[in-house]
Order: sequence, then structure tokens, then C-alpha cells
Amino acid sequence: MNAVISQSDVVTAYGWGLDALWNGLMSGKTAIAPTQRFAERGFISDQAAIIEDLSPEPNESRVMAMLRRLLTPILGTLDPATPLILASTVGEIEFIERAVLENNSAMLTEARPQALVQRVRQMLGLRGEAIALSSACASSAAALTRAASMIQHGEAPAVLVVTCDAISEFVYGGFSSLMSLSPRAARPFDAGRDGLTLGEAAAWALVTTRREGISILGWGNTTDAVHMTAPDRNAGGLTRAIDKALAMSRKKHNDICLIAAHGTGTVYSDAMEMVAFQRGFQSSVPVFSVKGGVGHTLAAAGLVQILVAGRAISSGHAPPTVGLGNVDAGAAGWARNAPADLGTTRVALSTNSGFGGVNTALVLGAAVDA
Amino acid sequence: MWALSRAWERASPAFSSAEEVPALMGRPVKYYARMTRETRCSLFAATLAVESSGARPDGTEIGLISAGSDGWMQASAEYFRDYVEHGRTLGRGNLFIYTLPTSGLGEVAIALGLSGPCMFAHDAKNPTAGLCRTGGQMLTDGEAQMILGIYSGPDAAVCLNLHRGPGITEMNALIAENGQLNPLELCHKLRERVRQA
Repeated sequence: MNAVISQSDVVTAYGWGLDALWNGLMSGKTAIAPTQRFAERGFISDQAAIIEDLSPEPNESRVMAMLRRLLTPILGTLDPATPLILASTVGEIEFIERAVLENNSAMLTEARPQALVQRVRQMLGLRGEAIALSSACASSAAALTRAASMIQHGEAPAVLVVTCDAISEFVYGGFSSLMSLSPRAARPFDAGRDGLTLGEAAAWALVTTRREGISILGWGNTTDAVHMTAPDRNAGGLTRAIDKALAMSRKKHNDICLIAAHGTGTVYSDAMEMVAFQRGFQSSVPVFSVKGGVGHTLAAAGLVQILVAGRAISSGHAPPTVGLGNVDAGAAGWARNAPADLGTTRVALSTNSGFGGVNTALVLGAAVDA
Repeated sequence: MWALSRAWERASPAFSSAEEVPALMGRPVKYYARMTRETRCSLFAATLAVESSGARPDGTEIGLISAGSDGWMQASAEYFRDYVEHGRTLGRGNLFIYTLPTSGLGEVAIALGLSGPCMFAHDAKNPTAGLCRTGGQMLTDGEAQMILGIYSGPDAAVCLNLHRGPGITEMNALIAENGQLNPLELCHKLRERVRQA
């Protein structure tokens, strides 16, 4: 039984909706800009991809403000029995900050992803299974693999995946302390890349058995078991994830016309991904990363790039990697700073990796391939 | 078809001194010192589960899923409190990396060399049944040959060992009857049954 993303929506720093994201990437202009939010903190960067027109209500988190607006159009449209998977890295991080700053430990309970998934479930009027899922920066990609599995096992005719993460002082300070932030907008796969830029985003996808949409043809989830924060330089974990996804989808490397890469813009992570790609593919395939445009949106990163990949394979055009100037030797012929024609093939690969050495790969098809 | 190959492994080690480190874990106490208490509990429970299964991580693809546990939330508060107390300019990276629900699983994977899927998947209504269902589907999908389902509380962790094939009928039945309980509660229930028997 095929699992298909038949409906979806997204918000990033480019704006609300997939058109805003797609057009922003195709324009080659970044949505990353200096922010004054943490100006007094002395972090190693002031760059971020922030959703500007967001107005949280009193006692509402930025995450919930994003989701409230993004999910409003589908209120009352879903079968109440639809299972919900909510993918976030931690939950509503602002509540952790408030718990500490206001010395209110009860607030920690509100911050948990389990609490967030219940809030979203209640807002949508759902009564089915509700799963809080986290797999670091591969969270939403992993959530899609779980949704596809539930569909294929006949657990439900539709599964709703919701993902979100906001920029917070907590996270910004953490990545700053790890020296992971670029002082300028991230430049994935660039020879001069020097770190990532944080972004915020929310997205949802309804995974069903319908024939129209983005087909989830196969997937692989693996762990490096090498280091908590650094990638395996031999790309062993990601290579296995890709091989598993291809085997499940019964596709071969040469069936893939496009790769939506994690592409954070850090030196080692981008290099690790290229090692995995070059190991498996006989010849170069167009590779893009959205993170030069919308930043690293953490848990949401996987679904954001998958929605872009879906638009790309349905339109026949790959977006450029925004911010890419002087392409790294290891990515030459793969990553581009201009749109690419995909020809007639309609199968894409999407990869994500994260802290703890997690890797997720998905093979995606256009509706015609379903 | 999936099953539990062994009822569970429960562990609650603090090992603050070298003498307390279980011999089978085989590393000096300093290796574990950087970990949160929850991570140490999870690691100990997973180690016991792998040992009791007889599987070799270098020859068996073993995945990790977890549920419950607010240990990482406490670690998150500790990281941010430390950051605030030190002037809100620079956090400690070694605290920041333990703020994710999967941080502990990452350490388990590294320590034991586990290479399968790794994710936190908490079903609030049915934590135990949810873990088993998720792990069972992963096994059927061929994502791993064995799945360790870890549930850790503040002072203890339980590791459910899921694999394909026949398992312990009573345990599967117990989970089916009590899926709404978390694995720690289920441990108490099964212990009571054993005592009564």
C-alpha cells in the first residue's frame, strides 16, 4: 500500500505557504537576516531566519502561534480518528526558559513535547493516537517514516504529521557555545562555508493512500554510533540509511534525479553527506539544500525540504542552493547556485542527520510514480 | 510478528564511583561521568538487554526507541539555568547536548555500537503498547533485527527487547491488557504476579 503526502502546508522565514518557500528559493535570495533578538548576548552570530509576522498571544509560545495559524485552514476537515504525530526537537522551549527565569518548575511540564502534541490534538479536535516524536534534526523526516509505516500496516487510512521549531535564546545560545553558527548567512556546500544559521518553521503533511501527491516509496533510519554531535566522517550511517531507503523502494541509485540534502553549512556535516552521495552514485545528481534560504529549522528541516523536493519533481526543476558562491570541490557538479532541469525522471532522495548520530533517508516519487 | 524475547531489563544505577560500574559495561567510571543520571540508567538497562539476548551489536542491527522520561527536560532546565547564572552569554556545550529526548539514546548507541533507528516516540495514552507497536512495525518493515524500547524514569529505566518471532506469551498478554501503563508500572505489576504465583 502506497503512502502519499496528499495535503500539506508550511511556513518559513520566506512566508506562509509552499509557494512563498519555493519562489523564495528559486529567486536565489536568502530570508536570513541579522536579528536584534539576542543582540545583548554576545553570541558568535546575529544571523537568523525568523518568521516576522508572528503574534503569539499572552502565554502562547512561538511554536504554538505558528501552528495555530498554519493549522486553522484544516480545522474540522479531518476524521477525528486520524492519528497525529508531532515532531519537535524538545517541545515549547520558551516554557523551559520561563521555568528557569521565573523559578517556576511547573512550567517544565508545559514545555514537554507530550504536552504540545495534546494541545495540537485538542485544537484539531482529534481523538486518535497522538505521538510525540523526536529524532533531533531528523525529527520530521523520521515522523514521515513512521506515518508511512502506519499507513502500510493498515493502522489508519490517514496520519497527520505536524512539525515545528522556533528560534529561542536556549537554542541560539547552545549552538553558539558549540561554535556551530556562521557569522553570516549559511552557505551550504560552499568552499568557504563556516557554520549553520538557525531558522524557524512549521509544517504539516497528511499522509494517506491517495494517488495524488508526494509518494513515500521507501526509507531508512540509522545511527552512526560514533559521536554525540560530530558526524561520522566516513558517512557510514547515512550511507546505510540511503541504501535501506533505496532497497525498500526497489529503486537504484541511477533512478534518483534529485537529492534534497540536509546541507547545514557546517564544514564536516556537508562533507559527510557528499561522501555518502559520491560513494553510492555513479555520476553526479543535482543536490540542493534549503538552509541557505530558510536556515536550519531543526525538527522541521526534513519536512520543509521534502515539500520542496516534491514541488521540484512535479515541476521538473530543482531549486538552487541559496548562498552557494564558490562550490566546494567535494560538491562540484552536484550542488548548484542556479535551478537545474531534472529531465523526465521523477524520483528524489531526501536526507537528514542530527545530534546523537541519527540519519534518515527517504525516497520520494511524484504522483505519476505512485 | 514481533515479540519480547525477555520480559524486560530494569536498572537504576547511579555509579558515582568506580566500584559501582557494572563489570559488563567495561569502561572506566569517567566515561559515564559526563552523562545525566537518566542516560546512565538507560545505558545500563540497554546493556543488560543486549547481554541477555545474546546478540552481538556488530553482527545484529539493533534499533533504539524511547518513551516517557522527563530526564532530558531536567537536563534542559539545568543547561539553561547554568547559562543564566553565568551571565547569559555562553552556554555549556556539554550540557546543551543532553537537552534532547534522544540524547540518552545517542550515548547508548555509541557505548554499545548500535546502528539501527534511534528515536523518541511517546504515545501518551498507551506508552508501553505504543513502544511495542512502533518497534514491532519497524521490525516488520526490516528497519532492524532487534529493537530496544527504553522507558526511563527519574531513578530507573526499563528496556523492552523486541525481535521477530515467538516470545513470552504472558508478557505480550500483559502488555495487551495493560498498554496504558508505562513500562515501569508494568514491571511492578509483573513482579506482583510473580510474587503471588
